Amino acid sequence: MSATTELRHLGKHGSTAKRQNKTAFLFLLPWFLGLFVITLGPMLASLILSFTDYNLLQPAEFSGLENFSRMLGDERLHRSLGVTFTYVLVSVPAQLSLALALAIVLDRGVRGLAFYRSMFYLPSLLGASVAIAVLWRMVFGADGLFNDGLGLLGIEGRGWISEPETALGTLITLNVWTFGSPMVIFLAGLRQIPAMYYEAASADGASRWRQFLSVTLPLLTPIIFFNLVLQIIHAFQSFTQAFIVSGGTGGPADSTLFYTLYLYQRGFGNFDMGYASALAWLLLLVIGAFTAINFWASKYWVFYND
Amino acid sequence: MQRRLILRGIGASAVALPGLAACGTAGGGDMELSDEPVTLRLTWWGADTRAELTDQAIAAFESEHPNITVKGEFKDWAGYWDALATTTAANDSPDVIQMDELYLASYGDRGTLLDLADASDYLDTSAFEEATLAAGRIDGTQYAIPIGAGMLACVVNADLFAQYGVELPDDTWTWDDYAAVADELTEKSGGAVNGSSVTGGTDAGSIRYWARLHGNEVYSEDGEVTLDPTVLASLWEYNLALVESGGVESPAQSVESQGAGIEGGSLATGKIAMGFAYNTQITPLLAAGGADLRLLQLPGNAEAAANFVKPSMYWAISSQSEHPAEAATLVDFLVNHEAAADILGTERGIPANPAMREHVAADLDEGGRMAVDYLESAATGPAVAVTPNGGSGFDPMIQRYTQEVLFGERTPQEAAEAFIDELKTEIDAAA
Repeated sequence: MSATTELRHLGKHGSTAKRQNKTAFLFLLPWFLGLFVITLGPMLASLILSFTDYNLLQPAEFSGLENFSRMLGDERLHRSLGVTFTYVLVSVPAQLSLALALAIVLDRGVRGLAFYRSMFYLPSLLGASVAIAVLWRMVFGADGLFNDGLGLLGIEGRGWISEPETALGTLITLNVWTFGSPMVIFLAGLRQIPAMYYEAASADGASRWRQFLSVTLPLLTPIIFFNLVLQIIHAFQSFTQAFIVSGGTGGPADSTLFYTLYLYQRGFGNFDMGYASALAWLLLLVIGAFTAINFWASKYWVFYND
Repeated sequence: MQRRLILRGIGASAVALPGLAACGTAGGGDMELSDEPVTLRLTWWGADTRAELTDQAIAAFESEHPNITVKGEFKDWAGYWDALATTTAANDSPDVIQMDELYLASYGDRGTLLDLADASDYLDTSAFEEATLAAGRIDGTQYAIPIGAGMLACVVNADLFAQYGVELPDDTWTWDDYAAVADELTEKSGGAVNGSSVTGGTDAGSIRYWARLHGNEVYSEDGEVTLDPTVLASLWEYNLALVESGGVESPAQSVESQGAGIEGGSLATGKIAMGFAYNTQITPLLAAGGADLRLLQLPGNAEAAANFVKPSMYWAISSQSEHPAEAATLVDFLVNHEAAADILGTERGIPANPAMREHVAADLDEGGRMAVDYLESAATGPAVAVTPNGGSGFDPMIQRYTQEVLFGERTPQEAAEAFIDELKTEIDAAA
């Protein structure tokens, strides 16, 4: 309300609507500038480049749909899709379950809630950083802390990030560990559920588990949905962890070849920027498809209490 | 109305395409020295020591050429190539570029490097040997000048040999001798150390050497892939047998060692007693571990003389440079002047210019001394062809296949054929 009066005040000379618009646009200018110069511009450029054989050093030549037809026979691309899907489909449900479980425990009113909340949130702030990936690499190396710990228990460790069977699992664990940000959102969601529902449920003799299934979960579905969409998009775009842990190779033996890492290797390692641009657009389509399916499916399980 | 808007949008994108196309290379400035103040950019990859020495050399150059200011830019290996590709694409390439053998043809073939023959008034290459200069030539055009020379060597940890009572081998050993020594070391140490690292398949040099031992070459002179899959497969079979017997460290340890770099790898930390490295890497290896390390000839070389000199790196000048004459003067200073050699020493490899090599020989440290002795004593075959355009990804590619073989995901023969196919595809696509 006060903002509107202010705008009116600014526009006191002459016809007001136009002037108000101008002022609004002026305030939005930095955002527009960012949108057009560093988001839409490069996106448009990469869309055009995806139909060329651009190699960074020579002028781009139009190559039609060649980049896209090449994807069909590209074994490493298929491998990277396999790695990325595994990562998304395993780490996101695991991360969200852990986040929800801890949010419920904390919501019970633990002493020192603020402290625990911060502690659990910390990995989310650090998880995608280079420093943590480097640390992770040292902790899970053959001579790392994790194996030292196992050694104390009499278990023989292994090179968790240097063997193809366990390398991806280690990166999934790293992602699950950053459960803090969905947890904080779950906590906020739990606080929104009116206490009277629980009172009514317990008066009817519902056990805690019954209350969770019949009260908490249905009322929390919009939050679960929100977290799911966000974390899936986030997981598809993972890059830093795999890049640092494998030294940019996606190794050992391509077992951690994330989609984004492969895209980066094509574009910058092999001067294959036209193809890399096409790969970027395929990723956009895949993420778009997942999100669309998510929204479509939400009709059947998300309950809006309004 | 709506449709017209969309069409207009498509029209605008079509206009944008020539703009993007201009991201190629544009011509640089005239080949003559200016009287005006000139600023050059010099770029290299490497660690802090290199940066300190290069900055000192730049200062020495600037004091001889008061109107030229040189701005140094340096990065680590991986970031360096990303930055060089993108700045070149943006027509903003540094004037003088430290170049590697793997990337030389990728840049040279695409017209982004200056033909140094055009700069011959300012850059004198007469002190260099013909074979050295040839390593900087693509299809007869001199795109780069080698800075230093390196050669693959076998590094042995004499302390570990003494500790476990294994006799130090001599330079005439064969691959069978090598395997026997590796197994003996593992056995006598009771598994505390492994005899050797994987003996090849982590870089182009080891593959090239193995191929030459078998009368084969990775590339022909005209840039075709000529590597024989059976030869490559035999290298992996040799290593699989040693992994099995314990003479070579486990594949997982090998992956970790590679990730840790030369100063943190298995050889530097004493987890293995023998390994392969470039002769000039003896300096960081000695500094890292403090063990008694020595350079031996590669197994099989006494008989076949298959080893070869690899330029450790080159100087090249961007074809986009506004000041090619000044850039050539700077390169001339770096490779031909004693004032520069005094500062730079052997940090970028044993100087490829024989006059400078002799000049720095007098005050070399232990590692430098060992590296020079090795280079001079090794028997070499003919020079190897320069990696063709499209072959810059050789190292990560061969590492990936080696890991697949060592972890049992593919048989050596399958992997060798797939590797050669992939390498050919990359090179054909770039041509």
